Amino acid sequence: MSALFFLQQCLIGLTNGALVALMALGYTMVYGIIRLINFAHGDLIMLGACLALTLVGAFGLEAAGTATAGVATWLGIALLVGLCGLFCGLVNVAVDRLVYRPLRDAPKLAPLVSAIGVSFIFMNIGLFWLGPADRSFPQLLPTANLLPGEGLQFGWKDLLVLVVVVPLMAALMVLVKSTRLGKAMRAVSQDETAAALVGVDVDRVIAATFFLGGFLGGAASVIYGLYINTIGFQMGFQNGLYAFTAAVLGGIGSIPGAVIGGLVIGLVRALSTAYVGERWAGAMVFAILIVILVFRPEGLLGRRTKEKV
Amino acid sequence: MSGFIVPGGLWCGDCRLTRLNHSPYIPVMNSWNRGFALLVACMVYAGCRPADPGLVRIVSSLPRTGSAKQQTDSIVRGIRMAIDEAGGRVGPFRIEYLDLDDATAAAGQWTSEAEAANARRALQDPDVVAYIGTYNSGAAKVSMPILNLGDLLMVSPANTAVGLTKPDMGEPGEPEVYRPTGRLNYLRVVPADDLQGPLSADWAKQRGVKKVYILDDNEVYGKGIADLFDERCRELEIEVLGHDSIDAKAQEFKSLMARIKAAGPDLVYFGGTTQSKGGQLAKDMVSAGITARLMVPDGCMEQVFIDAAGAANLEGRCFVTFGGLPAEKLTGKGSEFVARYQKQFGEPPEGYAVYGYEAAQVVLRAIRDAGMKDRRAITDAARTIRDFDGALGRWGFDENGDTTLDALTVSVVRGGRFVFEEVIDATDVAGTQPSE
Amino acid sequence: MGTVWGWVSDRWEVVVLAVLAVAPLVIPALGGALGGQVTTLFIYCILALGLNVMVGYTGLLHLGIAAFFGIGAYVLAILTVPTFPFQIGWLAAAAVSIAVTAGIGLALGAPTLRLRGDYLAIVTLGFGEVAKVTLRNLEQVTGGMKGLNPVPPPGAGVTVAGTDLGLAFAVDPRWFYYLTLASLAGVVWAMRRLENSRLGRAWVAVREDELAASAMGISATRVKLSAFAMSSAVAALAGCLYAASLSTTADPNAYDFNRSILVLCAVILGGLGSIPGTLLGVAILVGFDTVLAPWADSLIQQLNINPSGSSLLSFSGWRLAIFGIALVLVMRYRPEGLIPSRRLAAELHGDQR
Repeated sequence: MSALFFLQQCLIGLTNGALVALMALGYTMVYGIIRLINFAHGDLIMLGACLALTLVGAFGLEAAGTATAGVATWLGIALLVGLCGLFCGLVNVAVDRLVYRPLRDAPKLAPLVSAIGVSFIFMNIGLFWLGPADRSFPQLLPTANLLPGEGLQFGWKDLLVLVVVVPLMAALMVLVKSTRLGKAMRAVSQDETAAALVGVDVDRVIAATFFLGGFLGGAASVIYGLYINTIGFQMGFQNGLYAFTAAVLGGIGSIPGAVIGGLVIGLVRALSTAYVGERWAGAMVFAILIVILVFRPEGLLGRRTKEKV
Repeated sequence: MSGFIVPGGLWCGDCRLTRLNHSPYIPVMNSWNRGFALLVACMVYAGCRPADPGLVRIVSSLPRTGSAKQQTDSIVRGIRMAIDEAGGRVGPFRIEYLDLDDATAAAGQWTSEAEAANARRALQDPDVVAYIGTYNSGAAKVSMPILNLGDLLMVSPANTAVGLTKPDMGEPGEPEVYRPTGRLNYLRVVPADDLQGPLSADWAKQRGVKKVYILDDNEVYGKGIADLFDERCRELEIEVLGHDSIDAKAQEFKSLMARIKAAGPDLVYFGGTTQSKGGQLAKDMVSAGITARLMVPDGCMEQVFIDAAGAANLEGRCFVTFGGLPAEKLTGKGSEFVARYQKQFGEPPEGYAVYGYEAAQVVLRAIRDAGMKDRRAITDAARTIRDFDGALGRWGFDENGDTTLDALTVSVVRGGRFVFEEVIDATDVAGTQPSE
Repeated sequence: MGTVWGWVSDRWEVVVLAVLAVAPLVIPALGGALGGQVTTLFIYCILALGLNVMVGYTGLLHLGIAAFFGIGAYVLAILTVPTFPFQIGWLAAAAVSIAVTAGIGLALGAPTLRLRGDYLAIVTLGFGEVAKVTLRNLEQVTGGMKGLNPVPPPGAGVTVAGTDLGLAFAVDPRWFYYLTLASLAGVVWAMRRLENSRLGRAWVAVREDELAASAMGISATRVKLSAFAMSSAVAALAGCLYAASLSTTADPNAYDFNRSILVLCAVILGGLGSIPGTLLGVAILVGFDTVLAPWADSLIQQLNINPSGSSLLSFSGWRLAIFGIALVLVMRYRPEGLIPSRRLAAELHGDQR
């Protein structure tokens, strides 16, 4: 119970937090652009995990062995991330087209309830796909410790999270900051009507946002499966709750905010497990959320915006 | 509206109302009134649905959705086999069996609401004469006081929490709070945790364990057995490095495992079930680099636990206690049951299947002994069974409704299966059981 | 409107109440398991009307109503179960529980009211989670995952003309049926009065335009706080009825986010700010869950259609999908809800806040 122990907990917290952050991006991007709390995002991630599990079986990745993380394994994982990302992205776009787009002018809570409805539908699909019990996600990476000595544990799985999450986030930042699509997204987010007036195809930009959010969710689902090693049709709920909280904590609509929010949540969970007790960890996350919002009502990095009247 | 109790109407006037300390609202009645109350109760039930005199209905209430399904499927098959072997009849009655679910898909495990609804449904259906269940001890706490009001026989194939039956061993007021009528209607065919918890500690001591870290899932069953284990460890001077309750809704336990690793135990004990994340704990233990052994109680003795944890993570290091003999060690009628089950379903039964079968046999025998379709008579016939020659061997019920069986076995996980390790003899510790 | 239909639709509450009051005397099934299920339905109606004060009238998105439902149930249980020394009667306990829960609502509302829109929503959601975990972990008070058990029925130990009310409540579901129906009728009546009161109009004014309302001299803070308190109090009443009818508080997971979402969906599906809409929404969503699904499942089992027990062939296997599709379709074709509130319907089209 020393500095080393503290360091270990921080390491766990940051790794977990990176995963939460990746999921939070899907919430924050969609919220940023159409002010919708996409309740179905967590369950979309669950569907991605279902596909990942099926693909692992189909590719025979399980047989790739756990002794060393060979090139084949890493390639397989990269392929999984790509396919599941694509799948989730396309599903998200389809849902936007079918469910949310017709509701653009409806009262504010109508799309919210639709999103809840979509999340139920996803859960039912997951129930048939996985069955009612939790399923074990195969261990594709060796369990060996990558750090020397006994004090700190940092395995291949932890490395995997960082290897996938950091580049994806960097790519997203670049995309939003410096590409044409990114500019269009920011324009629509600021003022839909004005963006349309200067020639931005709003519906396409929104669809692209849904695709990107879904893609990141799909990637997160693969990482989740490999990192946590258990998936189940109800996992979306808990994931969604944390990811959504991360997005709000960081300032919903802000991409760096979601990342920071995710990391804070990971750290709070790990440290409260270590020093307060496992069973209080969930409550600590939300208690800290409430406290932060009371003092910074727009989240850590959010801008103070006037609500549309 | 024949059955509706009208104020001033059907209830007899001179019920003496006494405030009992354990249940402040139940009238104590003399036998005259009791008979009258029964009559009224019958009329109440009769008002709901006409009873069919040639039919007895047996219901079971088990978690039929969620990860316990594989285990409860096996129990239900056991019950159905017992009824089928009786030819679907007992005495002069046709048997109808109804398999109720006390879990919901949304919760993924049993819920109080569903269990209460099942109990009420059974109580208010005049054809129901027996209630087989529950699987989870926490669920029994919900349905026991409800079913007790109608003296409806309740036989559990799987509840092991101590306080459900044993006076002075559970919480204050247990088990009287579950018996508002003051009469016994709850029986169980599986030995309670006052054996399993302490005996597990004895066994750990025998195997040279010096330091344990105890976890529980904060539920009735899991916390109950972990506390008993904890208490016995302290008596045996095994060092308890920590005792934490986990959040059974959490998805991973990496931080917790880092904490356990820092404490350095020889054995990690988890009081809980597969449904309360037993598998995930085992996984995270391995990935945190903990080499200690893992010990779990019978709530994890099901194939889905091994599937959830991953067989490699448990291989040779995970020990499971079970209040009874595993299927392959049963003899006599028990081994015949296992053979028939294997033949009929093409797979070996889960650990509790034989208890489902035995519970149904107890119910059938009670109906036969009572010889009439009367809940009270059937319940009385069941609880006075002292000598039962069944699949579990020769056994009976004691005055608390507990089985006289006291075998406890330890299995170890090898090659993705539970492999029988040894029988622990209860008589060794009979004198040293915890007094509270 | 001179037609019969006009008369009925103006006084729908009275008509429905009369039908429901007579029903148990004519439908014997209500004396059985169905009676218990309908009772649950009434309790959810009360809960939804409580949420409607926040979401419907005042326009504050509340994602943690189940926490207040749960706190209400637990406070009642603490005051009545035999393991604690209080053991006061149900009515007194319910009154205390409602007051305490309203106080907790105020305590949550006061520091968070300056949050806007979705930020307030997430605070209520967070509070719900904190409350659930706290209920689970404070074992000495709440019994942890065991819950508090057994909660005596109302009228325990009271004898009226030779009938022990406690036993009557325990044995015949029609007693609870009438108790919850009467409570529901009371809440509906109170809501009707509130809608047209000064406070009710202030709620709507704040919802429509907080700035304009403040300019008219309405204290937005006080109005919102009163909505918080009222909503919590009504939820607590529902909780008191719930714990008594189940005879246990159930475990804290019964008061989680899923339940808040279910009630929220019912309110929005039925029509925000509309009393008949809210009641209809609950009847559809909760009725589907507690009445229709178990009935369909046992029917399938009795007809032996599904001997293998596959979830594809059980009704509850499809429950979530049916639920979800219904929500999506209703929102697609009636975004203001099934029975929009008259006030809202008049002004909502095309316009949004």
